[in-house]
Amino acid sequence: MPERLNLDGKDPKGAGVSRRSFLKGAGLTAAGATAAEATLLGAGLAASGPKTLGPGAVPIVLSVNGAARRIEVEPRTTLADALRTNLALTGTKVVCDRGSCSSCTVLLEGIPVNSCMTFALDVGAREITTIEGLAKGDALHAVQEGFIAADAMQCGFCTSGMVMSCAALLHRNPHPTRDEVNEAVSGNLCRCGTYPHVVDAVVHAAESGRGKGG
Amino acid sequence: MAPPDENVPTRKVKLNFGIAGASLTEIEREISADEPPPLPVNERLKLIGKPVTRWDGRQKVTGAARYPSDIQLAGMLYGSLVSATETHARIAVIDTSAAEKHPGVRAVHVVEKILESAELRDPTQEIPSKYPIVRYAGQPVAAVAAVTQAEAARLVEVTYEKKPFVVDLERAMAAGAPPVFPAAADQEGSAGGGGGPAGVLQTGNVRGPMKRSSSPEAESGIDRSFAACDVVVEGEFRTRVQTHSCLETHGALADWRVDGLTVYSSTQGTLGVRDELAAIFGIPKSRVRVLTEHMGGGFGSKFGAGNAGVIATHLSRKAGAPVRLFCTRKEEQWATGNRPDARMRLRVGAKKDGKLHAIHLVSHGTAGVGTGAGVGGPIHSLYDCPNVLSEEHDVFTNAGPGAAMRAPGHPQGCFALEQLMDELAAKLGIDVLDLMDRNDSHAARREERKIGTRLFEWSRRKPAGSDKGPVKRGLGVAQAVWYRFTNFDAACEVRIARDGSVEALSAVQDIGGGIKTVIAQIVAEELGLEPRQIDVKIGDTNNPPGPASGGSLTTGSITPAVREAAWKARNELVKHASTAMGLPAADVVLESGRVKGRLPGQKDVSFKQAAAMLATEQISAQAKRKPEYGERAGLRLGGVQFVETLVDTETGIVRPVRVVAVHDCGRPMNLLTLRNQVNGGVIQGLSYALYENRKLDRNTGIMVNPNLEQYKILGSRDVPDIQVHFIEEYIARSSTDASGIGEPSTIPTAAALANAVHNAIGVRIRELPMTPARVLAALGKVPAAKGGAA
Amino acid sequence: MIPKLVWMDATTLAEAHAALDGSTMIKAGGIDVMDRLKEGLDRPARLLNIRNVAGLDTLRDDDTGLAVGPLVTLARLADQKVVRDRYRAIAEAAALAATPQIRNVATAGGNLLQRPRCWYFRNEQFPCFKKGGAECFAQEGENEYHAIFANDTCAAVHASSLAVALVAFNAAIDLAGPKGTRTVPLEGFFTAASVDVERENALALDEILTAIRVPRASFATASAYVKIAEKESEDWPLAEVAVVLDRQGPVAGRASIVLGSAAHTPLRSKAAEAVLTGKTVTEELAAAAGRAAVEGATPLSGNAYKIPIFETAVKRAILAAAGRKGGT
Repeated sequence: MPERLNLDGKDPKGAGVSRRSFLKGAGLTAAGATAAEATLLGAGLAASGPKTLGPGAVPIVLSVNGAARRIEVEPRTTLADALRTNLALTGTKVVCDRGSCSSCTVLLEGIPVNSCMTFALDVGAREITTIEGLAKGDALHAVQEGFIAADAMQCGFCTSGMVMSCAALLHRNPHPTRDEVNEAVSGNLCRCGTYPHVVDAVVHAAESGRGKGG
Repeated sequence: MAPPDENVPTRKVKLNFGIAGASLTEIEREISADEPPPLPVNERLKLIGKPVTRWDGRQKVTGAARYPSDIQLAGMLYGSLVSATETHARIAVIDTSAAEKHPGVRAVHVVEKILESAELRDPTQEIPSKYPIVRYAGQPVAAVAAVTQAEAARLVEVTYEKKPFVVDLERAMAAGAPPVFPAAADQEGSAGGGGGPAGVLQTGNVRGPMKRSSSPEAESGIDRSFAACDVVVEGEFRTRVQTHSCLETHGALADWRVDGLTVYSSTQGTLGVRDELAAIFGIPKSRVRVLTEHMGGGFGSKFGAGNAGVIATHLSRKAGAPVRLFCTRKEEQWATGNRPDARMRLRVGAKKDGKLHAIHLVSHGTAGVGTGAGVGGPIHSLYDCPNVLSEEHDVFTNAGPGAAMRAPGHPQGCFALEQLMDELAAKLGIDVLDLMDRNDSHAARREERKIGTRLFEWSRRKPAGSDKGPVKRGLGVAQAVWYRFTNFDAACEVRIARDGSVEALSAVQDIGGGIKTVIAQIVAEELGLEPRQIDVKIGDTNNPPGPASGGSLTTGSITPAVREAAWKARNELVKHASTAMGLPAADVVLESGRVKGRLPGQKDVSFKQAAAMLATEQISAQAKRKPEYGERAGLRLGGVQFVETLVDTETGIVRPVRVVAVHDCGRPMNLLTLRNQVNGGVIQGLSYALYENRKLDRNTGIMVNPNLEQYKILGSRDVPDIQVHFIEEYIARSSTDASGIGEPSTIPTAAALANAVHNAIGVRIRELPMTPARVLAALGKVPAAKGGAA
Repeated sequence: MIPKLVWMDATTLAEAHAALDGSTMIKAGGIDVMDRLKEGLDRPARLLNIRNVAGLDTLRDDDTGLAVGPLVTLARLADQKVVRDRYRAIAEAAALAATPQIRNVATAGGNLLQRPRCWYFRNEQFPCFKKGGAECFAQEGENEYHAIFANDTCAAVHASSLAVALVAFNAAIDLAGPKGTRTVPLEGFFTAASVDVERENALALDEILTAIRVPRASFATASAYVKIAEKESEDWPLAEVAVVLDRQGPVAGRASIVLGSAAHTPLRSKAAEAVLTGKTVTEELAAAAGRAAVEGATPLSGNAYKIPIFETAVKRAILAAAGRKGGT
């Protein structure tokens, strides 16, 4: 029976669970390793192992809305936190923090992803587009105009994520059916219940003939 | 509520009265002499009643809208809560030493008083303890403010002495149940509802009965009323706890400074937050400013500062720096409010001509450690019936406190009542809409039933359970009323500057219904401008007072004040401009951005040019909501909803496919935002009916679904085709005659769906949510398992 | 709050192996990893990112069958023409999982190796068997979403929909250790709770899943995947079934029927397969297979309702597969 891969750390308070710690592996006593030890371990492996960063803040460059942005973040930082806190791009919202509501949707190379489920360090050179980057100056993206025309928002907290999902949809499918719009936003939760107007908005945007963006 | 001022001169005016397209007429009222002139019907107005796009739409779609949880101030600290991990316990020790030693921590706060829960009538009866007794898992215990949103909160060590707990409604009602409170406890209502009367009889965990009766016979002899009925239907109905699940969590950014406290609060009542913080911290209201330019959903749970807002303020005062504290999603689901569950035993009796003669409701529900589980509203308000008795009970359990949630008590009560009406109609051999006609004298609802019947093609309805095949189709209907509440502490200031810029200011906040847009429409209508030319500034307690957004009263309360302020500002502008233009003031009109004489050829200038004629840099007019026109009357608003559903009898899945919702809201102010609201109410109602259920592990009392994954909320692919129709009802009660829509739009949906399900499968589902498990059980398709169904 | 950790970026398999030890957690798409880190279920000192390891995201179809690299996303699997055309149940299982955003990132390998969604397991306040604790809280607790078979120790259901379809196609996986690669059938790779309650599969500490191999589907093969969930929008299944039929005209030759969300592992129903084999598929036969599939179920106090749902799902999946043209 192969030993199970286990992850040890401090016994979380109050849980009363004893986690089995593993001392196997390449002769490393990494179980319960403190952050400092882990960095040393990482350094020791540098010659034959993968590139190692952290656990303290490290400088990275993110390409956000067409601009190169330099920030310093710990490896555990999500892309959502990096955008909101380090870059003050608060248009992207964190709501469920678990990938089940999609309020945090941004585009990575044009593909909608949950930024709360993405590590900032995992982005690399991939182009990030946030809600702030959709319009071109004063010219709104067709989806943004559609949302206004069809009143596709109420409290507006899901709106950023919805708009990003819809913008990506229109880019790959300039004339979606109502079902296709519903499918594209099936991961975007709206507590206020604006879904019907969201579909109207995308249909409006598609009909405006500027489906591929403003 | 302000009484009519008897010393103000009055005049008589003729106002529109009745339903446009059906019964529109005029009525004469005596109103304040300084009220604006009556508004014509919507058809004759340029902006009011039209589908005007949202004023802050651009901000929201570009990410420019700054919500309270987005604001970052220099030197801001991040607050984190320490929440109880036990369901019922006495805290023996709170050790904050490790947290205090942490280099990033700037302040630690131990909670001394829990808000939003019931409190002992006699505080000396409380279990002796240095700290508040923990009465639900997730109760806030302490908090830490640090330079980053790190794990400093984990450094606080809490030692608990466990106590017996109870989280199940029936178990909590039973004799000998573990007591949630050691003695009787009460909870005040919030601005939006919830809470309950003080001094109610409490036996064990059960408060009540709180009785309300419509007649002496109902009060002491309801069984006699039933004896006089020809037909009686009855049933027990059960609904479950629903959480608000606001997308923006509860919390605030509190900035305590020497010269005052500024709080960016995610709230649906800015003044309520201000007043509460002023009282708790013993500072003058004039030194507290609450700012809520946008907020990410409330649904009734965000009245007052909340535990998070108060704790943020404590931390800010201690740290001498702004502190941002917003609940995590778990904390939000645990502790910030919920719609109580309900067990309703209802019987409805009628004479053979279909006239209702007796209704009797006995209800129990748990609002956790709060109160407010009453569900008797619909039986007292929906139909004419001489003998109505409700006996409501609140049952304490060791669970997060309930809070007012979009039409408190009404979706629950309606789920029971409208299903029994459906059953009663079948027993009488008449159509349920006919039964409603015989018992509901509201003209608006009668008109709505007529319109809905036609739009929905109600005549398609087949006998219950008669559809062939495993997937069966059914049609159902239900209706609702809500109440015309008015908050007279509603004011607005309109300013016109010499450069032609116009501002409208109020402390009112926008919960998502779009009041900003309506304000812009009203001011623009008076001034002959476009809504975008009005700078609407709301959500700031430095502005004239505005009502909290709850009870569906915002629009009805504030729009007359907005109109009056705009009208006064208009008159002031015209006074100056007409002099400069050499025209009598009465001959000047403002339209399409122009200020001009009535007759062709007369002087005609732009609004901007007219503003330049002001004698001072800017003029300002303020107005406060005046009393309602006419005699005091408990007015209602409401709607009727028709639902068509499919039921897959092999999987138990209920799939609504079509909804027709016909509603009244007085004078509709904005058709675009109104339709959005009704869609939203219907969607929330369907979600409540099908999916939502806050689940506590029965053995530990811990919430097993404190997230948006397993707490299931309706998504885009679950939305049926929804058609919304408004009737325009002029009630001649204010200078705008607007009412509300938020709550009535969500009350009847679950009941209508349940009636449609019955029509589809011939079996009545009396429990919510109508999960596949419940539907299959009702169809007799679930084999017996050990223990019995959950 | 995710604990502090070291980030390691491997670009080759060798680099990855060099870094694997008891303190290192592998991250591919990172979806399940992120949830476990945020819930405090795992507190690794080091996170090993293999998303950039070359050669693991290929998707190849040839005479031997379909070879899916572990880093192929669910979205790609759902959209790829050859998968939709010839291994339809796999495409459907991938397409119906989670949300569009998650499908764009979640990988096939990560999906197979994800840990259960049981709400006791996912909550660090419950020290259950699977976390080295002393009980299964679902047995006498809230168990409406839990297993109806082989559930007396641990009642969690396996979370991977993709696994259900792949097992139905008799897929195998490559597991690469530092000293070499072994290929094992996927079906046996998932382990029952009775084998070791603290794990769901037989992945060794130093192994990385490097390929998913699906034997070539003949032109007589037809497949279907059916998911029954409370919501149509993003919801975990109440019941799911994948059926692969090798048909000889209207007659079912070999039938492969696998239930998901029913047990600790994807569960092949030999009883249902026996009902079909060698017979003409009709509505009645499919219904009989559905009944056979739930024979012997041992529901808990709150999940007996899953039995009729599984009966229906099996029946409908069989009829869907039988109704399809060959080669799907």
